[in-house]
This record gives sequence, structure tokens and C-alpha cells, in this order.
Amino acid sequence: MEILAVFTPLLGFLLAFLFGKQMGDRGAQFVTCAGMSVAAFVSVVLFFDVVFDSDPRTIQLATWMTAGDFSVNWALRVDQLAAVMICVVNIVSACVHFYSIGYMAHDSCRARFMSYLSLFTFAMLMLVTSDNLLQLFFGWEGVGVASYLLIGFWNHKHSANAAAVKAFIVNRMGDFGLALGVMSAFVIFGSVQFDAMFEKAPELAEVNFMFMGHSVHALTLICLLLFIGACGKSAQLGLHTWLPDAMEGPTPVSALIHAATMVTAGVFLVARMSPVFEYAPFALEVVTVVGALTAFVAATIGLTQFDIKRVIAYSTMSQLGYMFFALGVSAYGAAIFHLMTHAFFKALLFLGAGSVIHAMSDEQDMRNMGGIWKLIPTTYVLMWIGSLALAGIPFFAGYYSKDIILESAFAAHSGAGEFAYWMGIAAALMTAFYSWRLIFMTFHGAPRADEHVMAHVHESPPVMISSLIILATGAIFAGALFYEPFVAGDTGGHEGLQIISHEIEIEREVEAPVVEEEHEENIWNRFGFWGESLKVLPEHDTLAAAHHVPEWVKLLPTFMGVLGIFLAWVLYIKRAGVATRIAAVAGPLHRLFFHKWYFDELYETLFVRNAWRIGRAFSLKGDKQIIDGYGPDGIAAWSQRVASGIGRLQTGCLYHYAFAMVAGLFGIVTWFFLRAGF
Amino acid sequence: MIQVAAFYLFASVLTACALAVICARNPVHSVLFLIACFFSAAGLFVLLGAEFIALILVIVYVGAVAVLFLFVVMMLDISFQDLRRGAMQYVPLGLGIGLVLLVELFTLYRAWPERTPVITAESTAIENTEALGRIIYTDYLFAFQVSGLILFVAMIGAIVLTHRCRPDVRRQKVAEQNRRKPSDVLEIKKVSSGSGA
Amino acid sequence: MMPVFSWASLSPALPELFLVMLGMVMVLAGLSQSEGAARSLCRVAIGGFALALMMLLGVNWDSAPVMNGMFVMDHFAGFMKLLILLGLMAAVALSVRYLEQEEIDRFEYPILIVFAGLGMMLMVSAHNLLAMYVGLELQSLSLYVLAAFRRNHSKSSEAGMKYFVLGALASGMLLFGASLVYGYTGALGFDAISHALAGGKAGAGLVIGLVFLLVGLAFKVSAVPFHMWTPDVYEGAPTSVTALFAIVPKIAAMGLLMRLLTEPFGSIMPEWQQVVWVLSLASMAVGAFAGLVQNNIKRLLAYSSIGNMGYALVGVAAGTASGMGAVILYLAIYMIMAAGTFGIVLSMRRGGRAYEDIEDLSGLSRTNPLMAWTLAFLMFSMSGIPPLAGFFGKLFIFQAAIASQFYVLAVLGVLCSVVAAYYYLRVIKVMFFDDPLDALDSDLGFSLRAVVFLSIAFVLFFIFSPDTLVETSRNAAAALFAG
Repeated sequence: MEILAVFTPLLGFLLAFLFGKQMGDRGAQFVTCAGMSVAAFVSVVLFFDVVFDSDPRTIQLATWMTAGDFSVNWALRVDQLAAVMICVVNIVSACVHFYSIGYMAHDSCRARFMSYLSLFTFAMLMLVTSDNLLQLFFGWEGVGVASYLLIGFWNHKHSANAAAVKAFIVNRMGDFGLALGVMSAFVIFGSVQFDAMFEKAPELAEVNFMFMGHSVHALTLICLLLFIGACGKSAQLGLHTWLPDAMEGPTPVSALIHAATMVTAGVFLVARMSPVFEYAPFALEVVTVVGALTAFVAATIGLTQFDIKRVIAYSTMSQLGYMFFALGVSAYGAAIFHLMTHAFFKALLFLGAGSVIHAMSDEQDMRNMGGIWKLIPTTYVLMWIGSLALAGIPFFAGYYSKDIILESAFAAHSGAGEFAYWMGIAAALMTAFYSWRLIFMTFHGAPRADEHVMAHVHESPPVMISSLIILATGAIFAGALFYEPFVAGDTGGHEGLQIISHEIEIEREVEAPVVEEEHEENIWNRFGFWGESLKVLPEHDTLAAAHHVPEWVKLLPTFMGVLGIFLAWVLYIKRAGVATRIAAVAGPLHRLFFHKWYFDELYETLFVRNAWRIGRAFSLKGDKQIIDGYGPDGIAAWSQRVASGIGRLQTGCLYHYAFAMVAGLFGIVTWFFLRAGF
Repeated sequence: MIQVAAFYLFASVLTACALAVICARNPVHSVLFLIACFFSAAGLFVLLGAEFIALILVIVYVGAVAVLFLFVVMMLDISFQDLRRGAMQYVPLGLGIGLVLLVELFTLYRAWPERTPVITAESTAIENTEALGRIIYTDYLFAFQVSGLILFVAMIGAIVLTHRCRPDVRRQKVAEQNRRKPSDVLEIKKVSSGSGA
Repeated sequence: MMPVFSWASLSPALPELFLVMLGMVMVLAGLSQSEGAARSLCRVAIGGFALALMMLLGVNWDSAPVMNGMFVMDHFAGFMKLLILLGLMAAVALSVRYLEQEEIDRFEYPILIVFAGLGMMLMVSAHNLLAMYVGLELQSLSLYVLAAFRRNHSKSSEAGMKYFVLGALASGMLLFGASLVYGYTGALGFDAISHALAGGKAGAGLVIGLVFLLVGLAFKVSAVPFHMWTPDVYEGAPTSVTALFAIVPKIAAMGLLMRLLTEPFGSIMPEWQQVVWVLSLASMAVGAFAGLVQNNIKRLLAYSSIGNMGYALVGVAAGTASGMGAVILYLAIYMIMAAGTFGIVLSMRRGGRAYEDIEDLSGLSRTNPLMAWTLAFLMFSMSGIPPLAGFFGKLFIFQAAIASQFYVLAVLGVLCSVVAAYYYLRVIKVMFFDDPLDALDSDLGFSLRAVVFLSIAFVLFFIFSPDTLVETSRNAAAALFAG
């Protein structure tokens, strides 16, 4: 069953990729969609199987490589965390597959597109089901490649190619950190198998690692390196620049990869490594601060953008920031919870945006939209649902997950947690604001597109809408449904449950000792649900504390959300035009936000240009002149010269030949005379 | 004493003539100097008591080989001057190398082992013709026979490279002549008057 | 006291005696037959070589030297003769059709090959400086004539002439060396020389004498700098003769060289190792580099053979039984590859005309894929790419060199083989990637096909059972070190 869930996408990819020509676009669509449907269905069954029976398992497939102590297997580790991820990935991916049938209907390379989607899904599944860091790295690179292929799918567009290259390169930075992290993990732990690592982590909590004469706390080092990798994939501040550009890809790609799944790989990685991160408090703090900053910065940028997809992209980045600071305050369950709800509503938003774009004849600039809500009511409603969920309006999915994150941050009672909370609140306000800015600019007001386009506006085909509806269902109900199992339950509560940890059984506010059987049966709280797949040290258990924060802390996010919507309504409906004036008044600030805090420009001057310069220098001087010049080309040219030199000696004259013989004889004889001194 | 004087006479004439062979401008002169060389060498053999070899040298080399050379040189119209022209530029280098090599080889004789006995015929009682015959047909039969084969091959080679069947040369073929019958070559026709054959 | 003669004492030389008779009879037969004599005599020659081969297998390979110690028949000689006879058969088989096509089908051709072969067999059996010299001359003289065989073709005559004059110079040096050796040891027989050298330190004169001998033989194996004749002669001689040159005489000369160096002069190995070291390195380098700019495939193969002799000399320089064994194996493999390659070169004909440039192979893969693939594999093998036979030849050679601590030579040798790979691969490139020319004539003779087929089969399948050949080579080499 596990194999079915993971490998059907691969099968779909292989069939569609290799035989795409023979089976035609229809065939390819059918094969990949069927594969994904099977996988999605199986993964739901698997989810219940694993979670309800509390039956995490690992399936060994094959030995990958063995070298000395170093031994890696291909395996599928399906525990609760992985089961959740498999479910999310497969369901969203299945929706996107179906949606693509409609969205890409006019494209000439549909089979290729579908096969890439399946390839991506497979790689993502390999990533989340791996039971060691190396296989995870394989999946990690796999999604990187698939993402590159998909962003640059419209390879006739120069900007798409540039975006693909940029995504790939920026991700390489992160991947480099990840690779270093994997290597140092092997050095410290002597293994890259998760089980072995997690078992050893507590023992190694105090170990230092000598690096270039400096003593570094080993686990912190590993965690920070891994976090750099996570930053790359999940577009955290610093390595985020690729994500908005990646919107050059077809919209289903943005939905699948750059909203729902791939960008969450970093979140998943940190959650998966939670038993190690728990022993590296400094690393957790870094995660918190970076996450908080990302949430805030991305939201500010989102305020000012005009490209509909870019707004959603920055919103994605901002939400990822939420997830990271949730991780940073050890609220892993909350992070994964938000990951899941976010996957639904963000995919919904993207696909809805895609539906709009589709309707507007591939127009992406919101300044050229407006007044179309009557023309595409279904999409309009669905966008509302998505935005409500995103803004954290009560009873939509985002409400539960975002609130618990903010509460956890507050409850952490640490400097970083406090910082994250206020950043999060600010971001929440802005989130709501730009979401409705998007809705108002797109759907309301006077139509700004030309008549030709407006005449052409139409509702998307049912195959697209139906996927949207599935996602919308998720966006509405996922929060309420999974709140209990994902995050509820606290050690101080009446249930008296506590965190599972092998070595340290510290009980806080002990009222009743742990009863193992009890939480194995009860999956309706986070301990029973997550089992051993996430690990939180008791002193870090912010989720428990989160249930006991003051009321205003709980209400503030919701209030901010409503306030944001109201502001947007005032600025874009009630007094349309005020927004531009505000932008003019707050000129420098607006410019800063609009230019994405000048990250791209900074990188351009700092790295890209210098890298070009160095690269050019190495390529022209180092490679062409020195290495090629003295190496292959030089030797080849020299060989030719030698050859023609010898050729010239071969004059054809008899006495030359005879002379050469005598000279050779003379040389040898003289050598003996000189050497032996006869 | 006389022997020593004769040795040096023959040896110096031999060396001088050998030099002259390669230095002479006229090829005919070169061949003549070569003949002089052979004679001097024969003289040296006589001094060593190898009169058979000395005479063979005169008969074969002077009488046959050198004379053949002379004919060839005189019959072929080759300008040796032209042939040498290109070679002249290498003379200094060649001379240098040759000289050094010569000096080196001379120094070898310093190391000549004193005790090595001079090889002489087994007994003075037999003439060296007979002595040669005895070893050539016994101990060195193998080398002698193979030398014969070499000459045979040389002969075949000479024929292969020079012999041409000229179609315009008329030869007498006895067997064919004997086989010939009138019916093969004669045709008798009745010629009617007034018209040709 | 003279030893009593008995016919039985001649038995080790039975194959040679048979070949002498064969040669004589062939002369008579050729003279008495006018039309098609060459063809039938070629067949007779092949049959005769086959018979000689059987006699060779029949005689005792462990007999004491006969004919006053001038002729020895040991395992080394036996195996070398085996190779020589096989090579001769291949060479004659390749020639038959070619002679007729080029209208040089005269009956002396097989006769000269028979005598050349006889000379080669005497060379590897030589056990005396005199015997060595006469064997060498018998072989050389036949080859001079063969090189000039297409006498009304100026290049061929020129080739014969050059070969002859330079050969005479080399023979002069060889004789001078022999005389020095005789002067310093008072002996001509190999045993006697080795006896004279045993114990005492070698004098300068003797070493110089050996140098002269070596130079004379280096000319025969075309080691640099005594190689200058090779490209010109290979190019000028009729292609079938070039094939013969490439296939057989090198084996004989190398065999003679090995015997000379190990048996009489084994005790002054450090001296001659230096010379062989230089010769082999120079040969490898020149063979590799000069080949780069050749356009004529015969010249290319000439440089290839120079380079290959360089590799073989690496094994000689090692001076050990395993080194010599590797040389023998290398020669055997090279001989077979060369036979196959020349089989292809001989079939490069269009409209009855022979073509010799590498460019004439352009696009052969499309006009005649089978031939192209065959040549491609032969070239891969020549450049020493595993798993083809040529790789193993080089492998054992360099192993032996490393075992004898000739690291520099081994490393430089490998580098040279990399350079040389260029021109082998270039042939392949021309065949597979250049625009095709007209198809080659397809009426190849049966014998040529057979030779090429056996050659390629050997090259491809050697890896499956290399042991027999490797073991035999080792045994043969061991015989050199037995005495």
C-alpha cells in the first residue's frame, strides 16, 4: 500500500514521459491523473491505517550503497508525520493534475507537462517518506529538478528560463547547506539513518565539534546547516528571491510546487529532525527569528505588488514564515497543521487566480482587471473562501492553524517568541489587507481590461472548478477537523498526557502519571496523533502553554484579520484612489516594499555581478588560457608541432636517414664513454 | 722489421685510398682508388699469412666486383656532383661526429686484453686453403650453406628486379618449332583467276 | 676428434630443411609453368608453411644446440617459429588477390617469402653470431627484393633501394659489433660468449661491441632513431609486402634481440638495459607523435608499428622472464591485429584502384558497416582499450616494467599510448562521422576474408581464454633464462 502510494506517480511519469508521443495527450493525461487518483486514495487509506492504528512503519526496499560504516537503504518510513505529508501531497497533487487538464488545454506539450507533474510528486513523496538523510536529499534534489523543469516549462519565454535558472541556483545555495548538514550529521552521529540519529541525539547534546580551531556545538551546527537547506527550499528570508520569480511557471505549477508542497519541504525537514533540533536551542531561536522576519517582510511586499500571482506568492512566503517560527518555538504540530491547511487554501487561491488568469486571457496584472465578479461567480466565491481561510477568519481552516501558531509563539515566553508574535500579528493584518486588496482589485470596481478581453471572460471548465471545490472543502473544514488531533491536548490539562521521550521523562505539573495505553488509543489529541514522529522536550512544550494564554492574545489575530479586510474595503472600494495617495505620501516606504526590500538588487550587485566577474575571469583566464591553453589545447597543439617536427625529419633523403642512424649510434656510444669514463 | 714496415705501408695506403674514394670528384677515380684499397688489404692479408684470402680478395673484388662497378659508373649517366651537393652542408657535422666516434673507438684499444692469443691456423703444416676448407665444410657448414642460400636469393632478386620479358625480342623455342605442323600454319587456298586471295 | 655425423642430429632443424627444399622446388615449378604460376605457388607456399608448422610441432622443443652449436631449438625458438609461420601464412594469404590486381603476380614472390621466412626462423634459432648474421641477411635480402617488387613503380623501387642501403649500413654496424665481441671474448657461440663474460667485469670494448650489435638489430625492429626507413618503405612497398613487413619480420628480429641480450649478454644486463630503455622510449614517443600528422594509412601503420615495437622494448628493458614473456605475448597479439588491419587496408579499392589515404575510408560505416566495425575494433584494440586483446598486450608489458621498477618508462609509455590513441580513434572518426564516399569494391578473396575474420575473432574473444597464450609465452620466455 505504501509502495502504491509512492510509486504510482513514478509509473505515471515514466509512462507519460516515455510513451507520451504514442499515447497522445489524452493518454498521458489519463495515465498521470489515474496514477495520482490511485495514489491520493491509497494515501488517505494509509493515513487512517497509520494514524488511527498508531502504526508507524518502515518498509525497506533495497540497499542503496554501502561503504565502510556508511550504509544507506532505500526505504519508506511511513509514520504519522509522513502519513500527513503523503496525504497532503497526493491530494493537492491530484487536484492540480485534474485542474491542469483544463488549464493546459491549449498548450502543445501537455503530455510532457503532466509527466513532469508526476515526477515532481514522486520526488516529493520520496522526500517525505525517506528514513535517512541521504534519501531525503535525493528527493530534495528531485523536487528541485522537477521544479526547474516546470518553472521553465514555457521555455520559449526568456523570463521563464531566467526564473528557472534563478530558482535552481538559489536552491543550490540551500542545498549546499543541506549537503554539509548531512555530512556533518554523518560525522557526528556516524549514521544518516533517522532512527539511529534520534536515538543518539540526547547523548550528543553536549558534544562540541572542532571546526577550524573553533569549538562549535555540534548539534547546533548540524541544525543550522540543515536549516539553511530548509531556507532555500522554503523561501525564507535571504534565500527567498527565487519564489516570486518562479511564478513564471504555469499556474498549476505555482499551486502545486510553490504553494502547497515543495516549499513546505523545509518545514517538513525541520519537523522531521525535531528530535535533533530540540537539543539545539540556539538553532531554534534562529529559526524563530528568521521565520518571523520572513512573515513580516513578505507581507509588506505583498501589500504593494500588482501581479496577482506574485501577491499570492508573497503571501505564501509569509505563511511559510509562520510555519517556521512555529517550528522555532517547538510547536511542530502547529507548524504541520498550518502546513496542511495552508496547502489547501493556498492551492485554492492559486488555482482560483489561475482561473481568473484563464478567464482574462492570460492577464496577470491586477491593474488591468476589475469588475468581473458577476462574470465568473464560482471562481469569485472560491477566492473568497480561500482568502477568508488565509486571513484567519474564524471557522475557516486558517483561523485554527494561524491562531495556534501565534499563541504558541506568545506562550514561548522567550524573546524570540515574543518578537515572532508581534511580527505575526502585524503580518496577519497585512495578510488580510492584501488578500482583500486582491479580491477588490480583481473582481470589483470598474472593468479596466479592454472590451475584447472582457467579452471573452468566461467561467473555467468543470474539470478545473471541481478540483477547486475539493480544495475549498479542505480550506473550510480542514482546520476545524484536525485541530484536535494536530495540536490539542496539553500536559497541564485534565487528560494528563505527556510527551513521549525515550530518555527524559520529566513530568511537569504532574497530576497523573502517563498511561501508555491511553494515548495510544486516543488519537484525538496531538500526543496520540503524532506518536513518536515529532519530539518536543517538556520544557519546550509551547503548544501546551498555548492553550493557556490570555484571551486578548487569542483574539488579536482575528481582530487584525477583520481590521485588514475593513481597511482594504475602505481604500479600494469606499474611497478608491486613496491607496495611491497613501503610496505617494509614504513614498520611500512604498518604494522599499514595492521593490521587495531591494533584495534582488542587493544580490545583483553583491553576488551576481561579482560572481559573473569572477566566473568570467576564471573562464577566460583560468580555464581557456591556463588550463585549456597548457592543458588539452596546449598539449594537442604541442603534439601537432612535435608531430610535424618529426615529419620534417622524415625528409626522404637517404643520407639523412643514414646520418640519423650514425648519430644515434654515436649518441649511445658517447653516453657509455661519458658514463663509464672508459 | 720489414714486416712492420710493410704493414704500415699497406695500412697507410689503404687509409689514404679509402679517403680518396669518398673524396674524389670523378666517380671513375673513386672506383680506381677502391681497387687500390683492395690491393692494399690483400697485402695486409698476405702479411698475416692468409694468402688464400688475399688472392680471393684480388680475384673476386678487384677482378669482378670493382670492374663491374667501373662499368656501371661509366655506363650510367649520373652526375654525382648533383647528388652530393645537398649532402655537403652536413659535412662539418658529419665530420665532427665521425671524428669523435673514431676517437672513442680508438680508446677501446687501450682496454684490449693482453692475454687474448692471436688466432692462428691450427698447424702450419697445412696450407691455409686446406685449413679453410676443413672448417668451412665441417664446423661452419651451416653458415656456409646459408651463405649459399643468400647468394641464391640475391640471384633471384637480381632477376626479379631487372629481368624483363620483352615481347619484341625473338627467341628460339625449340619445342615449339618441333611441334609445328604444316596444318597449323599453312592454309591452302584455291585462287580463282581474276580475283585476289 | 670430429663428431660423427648423423642425420638424426639435424632433426631439430627439420622445418627449416623442409623450407629450403620447398624453396628450390618452387623455383623449378615456377620456371616450368608460365600462366598463373604466382597464384598456385602462393597456395603451395601456404601449404608448405602449414606442413612446416606441423613438423615444427613434431620436433623436440628441448633439444641441445646442433650444427656445431649454431642452431638451437628450444621452447623460445619453437614458439617464435610458430608465430612466424602463422604470420607468413597470413601474409601470403593476404597477397594472393592483391598481386593479380596490381599485376605483379610473378612467381618469385612466394619464393622470396619462403626464403625470408627461412631466414627469420634461422634468426630465432641462431646460437652463434655467425649464424645470427647469415640468418639475418637471408631474411633481409629477400625483404629488400620484396620491397622493390613492383619494380616499374618508382616509389616501390625507391623503397627497396632505401631499405637496401640502410640495411647494408645496419649490417655493417652489426658485423663491426660482432667483430668487437669476437675480439674481446674470442668467441662467436652464444654459450662461449656467456661463458667468457661470466664472472669478470665486462670491458668497454665488449659493451661497445654490444652497442653496435644492438644498433644493427634496432634497425631491423625499426626502433628510433634507426627507424627512418620504416615509413618510406611501408608506403612505397606494394601493400601486400607492407603487410608482410608489419606482420612477421619484427617477430624474428625481436626474438633474435631477446635471445642475444639474455643468453650471451645476460650478465651485463644493466649495460644494455640503458640502451633498450632509450630505444623504447624514443620509439614510443616518435611512434605516437609522428603518427598524428599522417594521412596515408600505410605510413600511419608504419608509425604505429614503430610505437608498438617501443612498447615491446619496454618489456625487453625489464630484463626479466615475465618481461620477455610479455613481449612475446605482445608480439603475438600485435601480429594478429596487424594482419587484420592490413586485410582491410588491402581491400580499400574502388573501381580496381587501390586507395591508401585515411580520408578514403570516409563514411565507411554507411557504405560497408561490417568492414567499418571490424576496423574500428582493430583500432580500439591497437590503442589498447579493454576488453580487446591489444589491451592485455600492453597491460602485461607495463606490469613487467613496473615489477622491474621502470616506473618512468611505464608512465611515459602509457602517456604515449594516450597520444597514439588519437590517430587510431581518428580512423574511427573518419569512418563513422565523415560523409561517405563511393562504396569500396566488394570482391574480396576468400583468403583475405579468412585472415580478417580470424584476426577480429581473436581480438574480440581473447579475453575469454587468455591463459593458453599467456602461459605459452611465459614458458617460451623461461627457456631464455634456463641456461
